[in-house]
Formats: sequence, structure tokens, C-alpha cells
Amino acid sequence: MNRKILGFLPFLIFVLLCVFLYQGLFGNPRELQTGRLGQTMPSFNLPDLMDENKRWTEKDLLGEVYLMNVWGTWCPTCIAELGYLTKLREQGVKIVGLYYDQAYDPDFGDYFDINALREEVDTMLGRAGNPYQFNILDLERSLALDLGVSGAPETFLVDKKGTILLHHTGDINQRVWRSKFLPALEELQR
Amino acid sequence: MKIRVVFLLVMVLLLSAAVVNAAEDKYEFKNAEQAQTFKELTLELRCPKCQNQNIADSDAVVAKDLRDKVLTLVHEGNSKQEVIDYMIDRYGYFVHYQPPVTPATIILWVLPVIIVVLGFGFIVFRQKKAAKKQSWSAEDDKRLEQLIAQYQRKERHQ
Repeated sequence: MNRKILGFLPFLIFVLLCVFLYQGLFGNPRELQTGRLGQTMPSFNLPDLMDENKRWTEKDLLGEVYLMNVWGTWCPTCIAELGYLTKLREQGVKIVGLYYDQAYDPDFGDYFDINALREEVDTMLGRAGNPYQFNILDLERSLALDLGVSGAPETFLVDKKGTILLHHTGDINQRVWRSKFLPALEELQR
Repeated sequence: MKIRVVFLLVMVLLLSAAVVNAAEDKYEFKNAEQAQTFKELTLELRCPKCQNQNIADSDAVVAKDLRDKVLTLVHEGNSKQEVIDYMIDRYGYFVHYQPPVTPATIILWVLPVIIVVLGFGFIVFRQKKAAKKQSWSAEDDKRLEQLIAQYQRKERHQ
């Protein structure tokens, strides 16, 4: 009897290992990047993408639940999710864009043409839909670093008091919206 | 006179070359300690975009941003642990290659020890069992005789 159990032990270990590795296939290792969850929006003072005289700070965003969507025209996935985000805006979701310019590097004295970028953004949003109330231009990616952003697209859900409730890496589609964002929003309304 | 002018020219050229070289050396530090801290940090912090590279190794935009930030923080006189905390605050434990000891991660340290202890325990247990079996008594002699007699009888019958 004892022997039989002992004989099964390697098989049991094998099965357990299989289960462990199998569920690893579907895990998202980036889920771990949740440094800012539960904290308040870090302070910033950045210009509007379309108007350099207009500046935004974290205080301007208090009082409303909103999504902060990190995006750039260089990022195909961001362009792909514009359509769905626009639908969300039509349903009354407030979405603020954080424009993340990947190419700009002040160390190399990069030439940066804001007018060309504005034109590009206008064309892109005209074609795919404009989900944004406004866009904040984070040219040196300082707010992005403070938020723990590693690329684009990434989206934050922020409540009225400025607390960060969700940090989603990757695009937002119907499946993600229903499984991740809707439950969090419903939780807020309760 | 002429030699003097040539000498001066060469000196100026050499000096300007030194200035250019200094400008190319991207990371400058006040002391060797800060340089060492910076080196250690860039090796120990993980690039959030490319999971299996540290920020010294990666060419990703975010890795460069983190390197620059680490440099600024080190220049400002922050200690190594302060910079690590700063990054964990933003990017989570993911950003540091050394996981913290928490109830959820304690298994990483405990499990190998448990496996080694169990393995040795098993070996000792088996040896003791085997040693026990090898002891031979008068009773065993009797049983052996019996068995031999039994099989001899069987053979005769066939």
C-alpha cells in the first residue's frame, strides 16, 4: 500500500508541475506592474497638446471619474483602440489623453516639430474617431515615469478624488472593458 | 619661433580633443562611490518593457528614461536603497530583480530548503530500513530451512 503511493509520487509531482506551468501560459506577467495602484495621481504641470499656452495640473482633473489613456500616433495598437474608446466617450466616459512621444530625446537635442505633430494627431483622430476631452503633452515622459508607464497603450482609471484604481497595459476592447473596467466603475457607484 | 607656433598649435589641438572626449563621456560622477552605485543600480533594475533585461542592457525607451532618472537621483545624493524604493513606488516590485520577502514570496526561500531536507530525510530513512532488513537471526535460519524443504518436496513430487 505504502509502496503504491510512493510509486505514484513522481506522477503526482508531474501533474502538479503541468498545472502550474499551464496556468502560467495565460498569466500576464505585466499585471505585477501596479506600483501606483491605490495612490493619488502624482502632481504634474504639463502643456496641452494642441495649445502650449494652456497648462494642465493634477488638480484640474479632480471631481470627475476619468480614464487617462497613454498613447501616441507611432503606436499601432493605440490607433486600433481609438474606435472603441470613441464609443465609450459617446456613452459618457471621460477620457483624457496623455501623449507619449517615443522618439523625443532631449539628451540628443532632438529636433521636435510640434506643428507637424498636431497636424498628424488631427488627421489621425479625424479618421479613427476622437475619444479625448483633451490631450496632455508629456514630451519628456516625466508624468509617464511617475505613473509607472512602460509603453503605450496603457490606461488608468482614476476616481473623483484622484485615486488610481486601475492600471491596464495593452489595448482596451469590449472584453477588457467588461471584465476589468465595468466592475470597477460599478464598485464606485455603490 | 616657428617651432614654438607649431608646438602651441599641437597643444591646442590636443586640448580640444580632450574636451570633445569629455563631452562624449555621458555619465559623469562626483566620486567613485556614486559611479559604483549607478552601475549596480542599472544592473539590478529590470526593464519594465523587456522582462529579461536590466536597464543597463536594454535599448527600450523606458529603459533609457529609467537610466536617466537613476543618474539624476544618484547625482542628487540618493542612496542605492532610496533609488530602488523610488522605482518600486512607480513600477512595482517587478522593476527590481530581487523580490521582497513577503508572505506571498516566502515560498521561494523556504521551498528549496524543504526539498533538500525531505530528500536527505528520505535517504536516511531508506538506509535505516535496509540496514534493519539485513540483520539475520536464528528465526530467519529456521524459515529458510522450511522454505528449502518445501521446494525440495515439490520437486520430488513432479
